[in-house]
Amino acid sequence: MSTENQTDTPDTPMVEIRDVYKRFGDLEVLKGINLTVNRGKIISIIGPSGSGKSTLLRSVNHLEVIEKGSIFLEGVQVNRPDLKGLAFERHINHIRQNMGMVFQHFNLFPHLSTIDNVTLAPRKLKGMEAKAAREWGMELLNRVGLAEKADVFPNWLSGGQKQRVAIARALAMKPKVMLFDEATSALDPELVEEVNLVMRSLAEEHMTMLIVTHEMGFARDVSDWAMFMDGGVVVEECAPQKLFSNPDQERTRNFLKKHLQG
Amino acid sequence: MEFDFTPVITYFPTLLQGLGVGLLVALVVAFMSIVGGLLVAVISVYVNKVVSWPLRFFIWLFMTTPLLLQLYFLYFGLGEWILIPAILVGILGLGFHYMAYNADIFIATIKAVSGGQYEASRSLGFGHIATIFYIIVPQALIRSIPQLGNNMILMVKDTSVLSAIGVAELVYASQYAISVTFRPFEFFIVIAVMYYVVNIFMELGQAWLERMTAYRR
Repeated sequence: MSTENQTDTPDTPMVEIRDVYKRFGDLEVLKGINLTVNRGKIISIIGPSGSGKSTLLRSVNHLEVIEKGSIFLEGVQVNRPDLKGLAFERHINHIRQNMGMVFQHFNLFPHLSTIDNVTLAPRKLKGMEAKAAREWGMELLNRVGLAEKADVFPNWLSGGQKQRVAIARALAMKPKVMLFDEATSALDPELVEEVNLVMRSLAEEHMTMLIVTHEMGFARDVSDWAMFMDGGVVVEECAPQKLFSNPDQERTRNFLKKHLQG
Repeated sequence: MEFDFTPVITYFPTLLQGLGVGLLVALVVAFMSIVGGLLVAVISVYVNKVVSWPLRFFIWLFMTTPLLLQLYFLYFGLGEWILIPAILVGILGLGFHYMAYNADIFIATIKAVSGGQYEASRSLGFGHIATIFYIIVPQALIRSIPQLGNNMILMVKDTSVLSAIGVAELVYASQYAISVTFRPFEFFIVIAVMYYVVNIFMELGQAWLERMTAYRR
């Protein structure tokens, strides 16, 4: 059955994760994960380190190659074991242009100015002209509150500013979904809020988001659905209000207790 | 012993010509060894072992044998079959020699660019080759400047070795002038100063490049 030509209907889930397995050597890190993310929804994934939550997120845009199962973006399969070599490369490059990813360690390109970090992809991948790209880049930098840093290089920015630029860079390709891999974990506590603010503004614009986070308060506030992972399985998933205040599972309770104390 | 620099003044145009030849060779060799070294490095880091292993062997070969011997091999060895002008042999010999040294630097700096850079670029939708071209190589180049500068200064000095195969560069030109005037010391002092001045400019250039790129690292 081909999923290539599936039409984009409003009720097609934005991201669908079906029975996904992944191992690193002998260690099984994902053991049959299922998740459906509908358009405009925000899903938070929490769990202890080593639970597989980051691996799951990275599988969605194929930075991790899954062994079994399938992942779909708007009905189009992301992992395509049938495609090899250049054919797969073309396929995955196209898929990734529709997904924005934000990393824990920002990974801004240090040799490019802030504005060039943001506009490199639209210029080179969409052929956007320099002037239009600059305007688009400035619009995005403005949105994350960093228009005045356009011509500064990343090493002159604070951690919070770097991450805001990284978000602008990820938005530059007009992605259909944004993936946040512990976007605030590497930040000094006083810099977390400025990044959270940008993420909240995206939430208000109904950007579909998958958020792996340690920020329990933030996850509770912004997400439509929360998922607790441990040992490569989904232990519990429900509305965030319930997960954070009255979870069903003992493991979830223990994790939250430890985390809220710490 | 009395110094007499008048013969040097007489033959100064000859020396300048030699300097010109030496600098021309250095310029071509710099271009060839940097572009070629980068290509060798990218291939040996990213392409499979079948291709990269012979390249590693090439690097190893040029780094473990003397430059002079390599030049003799090219000039007298190849000369058995084809006649190549000495200056071309000099450029090729010096070019391959420093290509190997530069490739060695680039391999290290390419590997030093963090995996996160590669992932960030791929996550934007750039392909493998585009990522190497737009993200990895520019950063590796910037990190290579200090060692690359040192190599190029060594290379400028090594153009003097080409006198052994008859390339009319600065040392060769002075040898000619000395054989006519019998004033070796005066000439040696003057050409030493010439090398010194050229390399001062090289070092200033390197320092300038490092300053210009410091905030991009």
